[in-house]
This record gives sequence, C-alpha cells and structure tokens, in this order.
Amino acid sequence: MESSIIHAQGLSRRYGSTIALDSVDLDVPAGRIVGLIGPNGAGKTTALKAILGLSKFNGELEVLGLDPSKDRDDLMEDVCFIADVAVLPRWARVWQIIDLTEKLHPRFSREQCMKYLARTKIKQNSKVRALSKGMVVQLHLALVMSIDAKLLILDEPTLGLDILFRKQFYTSLLNEYFDEQRTILITTHQVEEVEHILTDLIFIKDGKLIVNNTMDDIYEQYTEVMVGPESLEQARALNPIHERVLFGRHIMLFDNADQKRLGELGEIHKPSVADLFVALMGEKADQSETGEKAA
Amino acid sequence: MNANMFSRLWILVRREIWESPVAFKWTPLIIAGFILLVTILLLIIGAKVDNEQVFTIDGIRMYAQMDDAQQRLMAAGVMFSAGSLFHQIMFLVVVFYLAGSLYDDRRDRSILFWKSLPVSDQMTVASKILTATVAAPIMYLGGIAFIQLALVLIASGYGLMADINIFTEVWAPANLPRVWTVTLLGSLVQSLWLLPIYAWLMFCSSWAPRLPILIAVLVPVLIGMFQHFWSFFSNFRLPDFNLLWVILERIGRGVLPASVEWEQIIHASESEPSFVPKEEMLMSFKSIANAFVSWEMWIGVAIGLIFLAGSVWFRRRATDS
Repeated sequence: MESSIIHAQGLSRRYGSTIALDSVDLDVPAGRIVGLIGPNGAGKTTALKAILGLSKFNGELEVLGLDPSKDRDDLMEDVCFIADVAVLPRWARVWQIIDLTEKLHPRFSREQCMKYLARTKIKQNSKVRALSKGMVVQLHLALVMSIDAKLLILDEPTLGLDILFRKQFYTSLLNEYFDEQRTILITTHQVEEVEHILTDLIFIKDGKLIVNNTMDDIYEQYTEVMVGPESLEQARALNPIHERVLFGRHIMLFDNADQKRLGELGEIHKPSVADLFVALMGEKADQSETGEKAA
Repeated sequence: MNANMFSRLWILVRREIWESPVAFKWTPLIIAGFILLVTILLLIIGAKVDNEQVFTIDGIRMYAQMDDAQQRLMAAGVMFSAGSLFHQIMFLVVVFYLAGSLYDDRRDRSILFWKSLPVSDQMTVASKILTATVAAPIMYLGGIAFIQLALVLIASGYGLMADINIFTEVWAPANLPRVWTVTLLGSLVQSLWLLPIYAWLMFCSSWAPRLPILIAVLVPVLIGMFQHFWSFFSNFRLPDFNLLWVILERIGRGVLPASVEWEQIIHASESEPSFVPKEEMLMSFKSIANAFVSWEMWIGVAIGLIFLAGSVWFRRRATDS
C-alpha cells in the first residue's frame, strides 16, 4: 500500500504488564479525516505518540513512508500536531513563536499565519501566558494551518474550550485547511462535534481496534430503529446489538440487518457516533453511564 | 546546508535568551549598574570626607608617575576585578539554566510543541550548550565592557582635573580592546574547561523526574563521600583521588577566565619573596593558550561530550509524561 499515509501492522506497545496497543493493523489513505475514538486509557495517545515518533513501539509502522522511530526529524517537516491547549511555551510572545516557526519550519508561510491571526484578538506582543485558553488554541491552529503539511494530528485539541471556540476550530479546519492531499487524525471525547466532519472512524478499546471503517460503510452497516411497544418482541428477535429506552420508546441498534425489515418495525435513523460508541464499547452492565462519560 | 544549520542554531540560541531574559540580559546589566552605583556613591562620600581630594586627584597624580609596568598592572587589576564579579555570577546563572534546560519544557509540556517542529534532538542540545558556553559569556562581556568603559571614563575625568595626559596614563595602560579580547577568549576557554560540569548538569536535566539541580549536586557529593569513607575505613587513609575534590578544583579554577596564570601566582608567591606581580598574571594570552592545550582540558572535554551524547539520547525519548 504505497498510497497510505499511515501504515501499521502488528503495532504493539506495553508498559510493564499493561498492554497499551495490542497488535494494531491500520491503513490511512490520503485525503481522510479520521476520528480515533476510545475511552480513557484505551491506547489513543500511545498510538499517536508512536505515529509521531515520540514513543517506542513493536511491529511495523510507516508514516509517509518513513519510520517514525528513526526518521523523526524528516517526518516532522510533513507532519504537524496539536497536543492540547497547554503546550505552547507560556513564556513566549506571539511574535517570537511565529519567528521561531518561520525559521525552523521550511513549509511555514508567515503571510498565511498573519491572515489567520488578523481575524482574532491576539496581539503580536502578548505572552502566551496572558492569552485565554481559546486564544492559545486559535494561535496554535493559525500556526499549524500555515504549515503546508501532509498529515495533521490532533490530540484532544479542543479540551476545555467553550462551544463557540470548538465550533470555530473545526469550521476553519474543514473550510480552509483540509483538502484531498491532506490527512487529519483526531482523537477527542467530544464525538458529537467531529462526527459530521469525519470520513473514517476508528474505535479503540484496550489497545485493540473495535471499529475501523469509513463513515459511509458504518452508516450502511449499522441501523438505528425507534421501535414502538407493539413491535418490541419482533424487533428483539432480530438480535439488536444494543437497546436503550428513551421516553418510553425503545431505540435499538442493528448490525447488518435487513433495512426493509427494520423499516416495518419503526422509524429508521442513522446512528450517531456517540450511540455507536455506547453500543460497541460500553460495558453491558451499565451501558448508558459509561457511554455518557466516554462521549 | 551549513548556512542553514547555522541560522537554525542561531534562532534556537535566541529562543533560549528569549526564554531566560533575566539570566542572560538583565543580570549582567544589573551587575554593571550595581558596580557603577557603588563606585559613584563611594566617590561622592569620598569627596565629602576627603576635602583635599587626596585619594582621587592626588592619587591619580601618583599613579601617573608610576612606571609603565606598574600602571598596566594597576589598570589590569581594576579591569579584572570589575569583570570577575560578572564571571562568578555567570557561573551560578549558567548552572541553574542548564539544570532546567531539558527539564522545564518536559514539566510544562511545551516539549510537545518543540518536538512538533522539525528540529533534531542533537540540534536542541547543541543550541542549549552553546547558549551556556558561548552566548552567555558574550552577553556578560557586554556588561563587563560597559562597566570597564565607565570606570576608564571616570578615571579620565579625574585625570583631566589632575592635569595629566589621560591618553598615555589612563587609556593606554587600560588598553580596553586588548582587555576585551583577552576576556572573551579567556571566558570561552573557561567554558570549555567547565564543559564536563555543564554537560553533567544538562545530562541530569534530560532525565531527572524532578529537581534536576538537586540530583546533579547530590550524586557527585554522595560518590565523593562514599569514596572518602570507604578509603578511610578500608585503608585507614584518605583517598588520593577523590571525585568531589576533582570537581571542586575544576569549578574553582573555572569561575574565572582562563587568562589567569594560576601556577605562576601560587608558585611565585610561595617560593620567591622578591616576586613582582605583573599585568600578565591576570590578562595573559599565553595562559589561555596553555590552558587550551593542557591534557586536563581535553579529558574534561571528552567527558563533557559523553554527557552531551547521553543528553541527546534521553532527549530523544523524552515526552511530557
């Protein structure tokens, strides 16, 4: 698979007796927005750190045709990442960070960055310490969007931001940055906000990939049906993978069931990523609770 | 490639100075301001007490009558002592800077930003050690040059009042360009002399889970003490070669620029009562060259390079956790 941006085979990582990544196989082609979703401690950050060459791993891993554990310096010319809001150096002034990035990153365009920053309230002479969390993210995003990279990795990029900043973040990313040549890999707990921009979805749990598919295939595979009390038994006979009750109506999730048959039982929906997450990843005993936390 | 590497190193060194403006910019300025203030205060108080201006105007007349060698020694003495305070404080500043150099960004997680830039770990480590060994001496030389110039100007003022030729009696013996060149070369060689200490601090900074400065100090102290007691209890005598003394001796010789002729000063003052101090003892190119080619110097440099390689190794694996 030469066209893969990320290619992993048998990717593993253990910390002592804990298995953080358990022989993961992964292929991400160019021009995708991939959501890597999983509960805390599922191995998301471990996977990202391996891809970024920030931690050791076993197995085979190629990012843009390079081995992240050996060719990190070259790799970082084409890969950008935003870990979360807290990582820009707090002592630095905005112009210093821009100067540094310009001198150190061959693909950085100062012009672009100034254009993005002009839309914000960020002043060149402010220290990062003095900016609000939202402004720090705006600054980081302006920097990253001004770099002509092939792969952008976002690890909880909007953690702790208010909803306006979060919306704005993903809108800019989608409208002004993303194109066929670029690939974005996102991990987040705020699934609702990214699900409409994702092209691919990966669920990870206990170091294993539970789901790894395109959104189109996922919507084809999984169907949610709102079943009235009269057809409850019939619906249950079709083996829903998950069932929850909302305002007295039963919402059931089916895996690869006959759409026509389901249509007769009740109203058909596309399942939301959050509901899928609960159905596929939640513990059977207290499904709804873990689901809410994770989502 | 080379020009590119140089410009990248340059911006990385500037980053270090941006990050620690107090250490590299303000401290030398404050020391210079402090020395200037004390000098001026002393002169004002002196002028009140000493109505006849015996210590100032008459003093400078007496100085003008000395022979050239003595004038040069006095001028060098004043220039050197003004500079030595800078060097001692710079050593402390650099020690703390290096102990935090590969630790602070791990603690505040900004390492994730730095590692998102295409900069190799060798480059990062190189920029930090260059900041300590080259940029810091140059910044502090700025403060030294300022205060030396100010002192020569003050002396010239009194010289004019005393009606002496300030060019032959003040500016020529002070010979500032030579003093600055000697100080610069001397402090660069001094940095090289201290490289094993500097690199050790950086090495500790690259892996210490917390308090790198404490670890960097405690490890050699404990080894030295252990060696001491071990030798004492097993052989009933003190060790011939004690790590702690070796380190302390190196620091002791390293806090002043390599232009000082230690051997000559120690040796001469012990054995020759008729010994006459000379300017060259404080400001000697020969002494710098001797220190530079000594075998102790290059053993130290080799040890330093090993610690730097270790720092790169740990930096490579460092993340925010």
